[in-house]
Amino acid sequence: MVRLAYYPGCSLEATGKEYDTSARAVCQALGIELVELEDWNCCGATSAHSVNNLLALALPARNLALAQKLGLDVVAPCSACYNRLRQAEHALRYDRETRAAIEEAAGFNFLGGVTVLSLLEALVKRIRPGTIADRVVHPLQGLRVACYYGCLLVRPPEVTRFDRPENPVHLDELVAALGAEPVAWRGKTDCCGASHAITSPEVATALVGRLLALAREGGADALVTACPLCQTSLEMRRPAGETMPTFYFTELMGLAFGLPGTRAWFAKHLVDVRPALRVLAQTGS
Amino acid sequence: MEQTEGRPVGAVLVVGGGVSGIQAALDLADAGFRVYLVERQPAIGGRMAQLDKTFPTNDCSMCTLAPRLVECGRHPNITILTCAEVKEVTGVAGDFTVKVRQYARLVDPDKCRGCGECESVCPVEVRDEFNQGLNMRKAIFRPYPQAVPNIYAIDINRCVECVECAETCTAGAIDPFMGDREFRLRVGALILSPGYELFDPTGRPEFGYGVLPNVVTSLEFERLLSASGPYQGHLVRPSDGSVPRRIAFVQCVGSRDVARGAVYCSSVCCMHATKQALLAMEHIPDADVAIFYIDLRAFGKDFERYYAKARESGVRYIRCMVSQVATVPGSGELAIRYRTPEGAFREERFDMVVLSVGLRPPQGLAELARVAGIELNEFGFCKTWEFYPNLTSRPGVYAAGVAVEPKDIPETVVDASSAAANASRLLQAARGSLAATKSYPPEREVAHEAPRIGVFVCHCGVNIGGVVDVPEVARYAADLPGVVHSQDLLFACAQDSISAISETIREHNLNRVVVASCTPRTHAPLFQASLREAGLNPYLYEHVNIREQCSWVHRDDPARATAKAKDLVRMAVTKARLLSPVITTFLDIEPLVLVVGGGAAGMTAALSVADQGFPVCLVEKEPVLGGNLRHLFYTLEGSDPQALLYDLTVRVEHHPLIRVLTGAEIVDVTGYTGNYVTRLRQGDLEREIKHGAVILATGAVESRPREYLYGEHPRVVTQTEFERMLASGRVGGLKNVVMIQCVGSRQEDRPYCSRVCCGHAVKNALKLKELNPGANVFILYRDVRTYGFKERYYLQAREKGVLFIRYEPEAKPAVEAKGERLRVRVVEPVLNTPLDIDVDLVVLSAAIEPRPETARLAQLFKVPLTPDGFFAEAHMKLRPVDFATEGMYLAGLGHAPKTLGEALAQAQAAAVRAVGLLAKGRLESLGITVQVNEGRCSGCGICVEVCPYGARYLDENRVARVIAAVCRGCGACAATCPTGATQQLGFEDRQIMRMIESALLA
Repeated sequence: MVRLAYYPGCSLEATGKEYDTSARAVCQALGIELVELEDWNCCGATSAHSVNNLLALALPARNLALAQKLGLDVVAPCSACYNRLRQAEHALRYDRETRAAIEEAAGFNFLGGVTVLSLLEALVKRIRPGTIADRVVHPLQGLRVACYYGCLLVRPPEVTRFDRPENPVHLDELVAALGAEPVAWRGKTDCCGASHAITSPEVATALVGRLLALAREGGADALVTACPLCQTSLEMRRPAGETMPTFYFTELMGLAFGLPGTRAWFAKHLVDVRPALRVLAQTGS
Repeated sequence: MEQTEGRPVGAVLVVGGGVSGIQAALDLADAGFRVYLVERQPAIGGRMAQLDKTFPTNDCSMCTLAPRLVECGRHPNITILTCAEVKEVTGVAGDFTVKVRQYARLVDPDKCRGCGECESVCPVEVRDEFNQGLNMRKAIFRPYPQAVPNIYAIDINRCVECVECAETCTAGAIDPFMGDREFRLRVGALILSPGYELFDPTGRPEFGYGVLPNVVTSLEFERLLSASGPYQGHLVRPSDGSVPRRIAFVQCVGSRDVARGAVYCSSVCCMHATKQALLAMEHIPDADVAIFYIDLRAFGKDFERYYAKARESGVRYIRCMVSQVATVPGSGELAIRYRTPEGAFREERFDMVVLSVGLRPPQGLAELARVAGIELNEFGFCKTWEFYPNLTSRPGVYAAGVAVEPKDIPETVVDASSAAANASRLLQAARGSLAATKSYPPEREVAHEAPRIGVFVCHCGVNIGGVVDVPEVARYAADLPGVVHSQDLLFACAQDSISAISETIREHNLNRVVVASCTPRTHAPLFQASLREAGLNPYLYEHVNIREQCSWVHRDDPARATAKAKDLVRMAVTKARLLSPVITTFLDIEPLVLVVGGGAAGMTAALSVADQGFPVCLVEKEPVLGGNLRHLFYTLEGSDPQALLYDLTVRVEHHPLIRVLTGAEIVDVTGYTGNYVTRLRQGDLEREIKHGAVILATGAVESRPREYLYGEHPRVVTQTEFERMLASGRVGGLKNVVMIQCVGSRQEDRPYCSRVCCGHAVKNALKLKELNPGANVFILYRDVRTYGFKERYYLQAREKGVLFIRYEPEAKPAVEAKGERLRVRVVEPVLNTPLDIDVDLVVLSAAIEPRPETARLAQLFKVPLTPDGFFAEAHMKLRPVDFATEGMYLAGLGHAPKTLGEALAQAQAAAVRAVGLLAKGRLESLGITVQVNEGRCSGCGICVEVCPYGARYLDENRVARVIAAVCRGCGACAATCPTGATQQLGFEDRQIMRMIESALLA
């Protein structure tokens, strides 16, 4: 039994609700106990680090303090949350001066026992794709997906220390374990424009349009991501006429595991996912 | 200055057998020292051996290097120790004891004949590092065909001990029980030149190296281009064997990269990529080649022309730092997205992407430095000093080549010679004490014998063999009259082939030899030496060039190229039948070096020669010594040029072996190698100097700009003038200063880069910021060419707020007077808007141009000039301080623009070259001098008039005579002699007539 502290973050309570639901369901199916942090607070993304470096580290650090009290490593499904929490952990571990300032601001002493994980990292590193494959009852045979990592999951590499920063592969390994086909494509870590999704939608649309075109060039039926900001941007800011959906990897896991309620998650999508999933019905999955 | 205690040991240990170590070894060996050349690989040759062609002449790299390799292998004073490493250095300058470990080669070098039988039976295939792992080699291998020593070695880590090779080897050379060996050598000095490593591009994963199959490094691409490469010179993609029609080069991969610990510029990659682009287009005429770069650094001699040639040939230069190379799924194509000069993003597809990987300190340099007890600099290269370019932190240990700083081949050669000069100076007292002299067997008398001719036809790998049917030519020659032996050779110049020729001469009792291969200029002496080894007079030799004259020019017509090769061989055989031995004469060398020019280079050369024990006459036309050094007050690295000026002047003036003649002008030069007579005028006084060699170090000058209101407005000055202002501290009131680069350089009338101006501008900008931090400095440039470690000062200048604004030559800045001040207008390329800058001072980086008297001196000394008016060296790559005429050397700015440190290195290099000649003591006359049949001479005197060397005169009986040692064998007199009394040895009328008849016989 793996126990992990769970930091949902704000996206998973709103636009990324289906990511939260699917993450919890998948973890339960794999025997991972998620203990939601009590009284968790904002991770600081993306406003804090634009204006105040100490605040940007102290906010996530307070969440680390809560995890430290539980004596558990903390998992953050949202890439932005993960990145902020991980930045705080990195500063606490390797930057003596900043550590003192953070500890004073967040009111705790970092003991070094807490590690921040992204949900993808937790599944790939602690459960392993082989174990996940064993749990599959409906292999996603014939589903061709472009694994999209975005910017925050693997960068900056000296902080995240997870996967290859230029050509990450862990998500590909995971969807392959589900029986789907991860396609070779060249947009894995390119920008989705999420930061501009509200302020300059035309910028986001141009970037999303390029990503969808690259995914199609690679032969994908859908994108799969581990970030609620990417997912929202990719579906919401798609150019007119685009119909390629973007799944959370946990949604695909739910499908492959045959978990109940899976179809209900898809109702939250802005793109109809059914055409992309039709191939599964054909292959009998 | 370094000194030794007591009498030093007359031997030097050189670490690293690349072009640098080879040059240092040859210079020292010629200068009378015993040399141990220690190389970690099983053969010498280093990186240059891996190159296909060299910029900016596109000369075949191996063709120029191979003679040096062979010379090194044959030099009686050089011992090559391969598979060896230095493990310990004890002692002091002049007397070191060096522990060397030689790893088991498992092949006995004395027995191996390099036949290659072992290789064919070896079952183990491993990646061939010579070809950058692009193909496989065996566990028993020879690194490359022309390797020296040309013998095999067993890769002990890969050998499966099946002993197939040992059973096959007829020479019994395989010794599976051979162990590592450790021994100690006593030497007076060490030269470290271990070369470099290439940046591993997996450190820039965004370019996909190692993941995307069609992304290769520049050295891999070089091997793909090379005739001795994995695809025999057919440029194909290793992934699928297809021909890449669209090729992109990405520059600065692992260079100019703060994040990856290499702030510096690797200096060679811009030209290397330009060369490879041109070669790619030669291989694939319709290829589309693009080079993505930051600044195009074509700063060396003739580089700017080469760059222009590449642009004219259609190479696209795109100024953009590429952020990613991505694969287009399913197509094998590679996509590069970049920003166009107009600011738009564009994506292009390529079939192949070449990463121009930067130069890194060689593997094991840290360990070598520890063992040798020397310090490394902040970049991990050998630490040396700006004004003492080869001195390390340990006296008696010198460093040279790229292990000191990234540099190209000629600069590496200069640096190596300079290091050799340092060692030769230190060990001066022991010169000759341990040197061996080469002795040949006595010459066999052949005059009475009927001709027994041996013909050797060379494949030159595929250089000749790829076009000409070489075995067929050899078969044809076998049936020609007088020929008793004929064979083909894969590489005639390889050491084993050369000894094979000697053996064949003895075995078949040959008395004439014909070699059909490449150019006689580089290779005839090699083959002639093998005649001497076999006891034949070296002039019983005839050379045929079937590479330049057949395979290269008739590439698309193999049948007729072969027919022509046969014709040429038949003509040579005809002539060979008529050859007779030539007895050369010897001539003593006047042991004095004339150094012309008393600037930094001239004084340094003079001191180096004098400290190496030979007298010098230093001539300066000005009343004082110093030249341009008098106008330098700072350097980028913080050394003090004025202190150097003082030091050099005092040492030169007080040196017992140096005679200084200031205010002196050269009026006439006569004589010849080893015995020149130069007449000087010093005021009303005329003097005659007899000298054996001459070093021309006459410098160059900063040009006077004709543009930007220079000379019209008092606030427009040159960089040199500005430096003087900075030195005198008159810069406190300056608020805004604009520097304009490339004033008079890189334009139609001066199509070269003046090399030093970017560094000069950065230096003065930093100095101004130091003296007056509030001043704003704008540097208007075309490309910032702060090559090598100078890049860090460019970075520093940007950090200090110096603004660099690029301008295009089509839209040069405009300078306008605004009363006492000035206004400069320039189009800012990023914003694409004109900027007006009101300034207190405009500083022009004026071009460096040859001194006006350079042309006159060139005429007096009969040395060539480049089209730009600088002195032209004998060979761009491997003879950077020699003139084509032996005994004449060059150094400093008269050769090309360069920094002070570079000029000092070149001066020392020229010095050791001159010492190498003087140390011989005597010279041998040429074998192709003319002779006179007195009975036929009519005394008309035409020969005296046409001789350009003053080698002909009429004696008291009006018979035309020859001074053999002066005669250069040009043949002018022989051609004009109306009676046929003058005959040139080796080109006698009867020989030539028979050759012509033979040519028409076909």
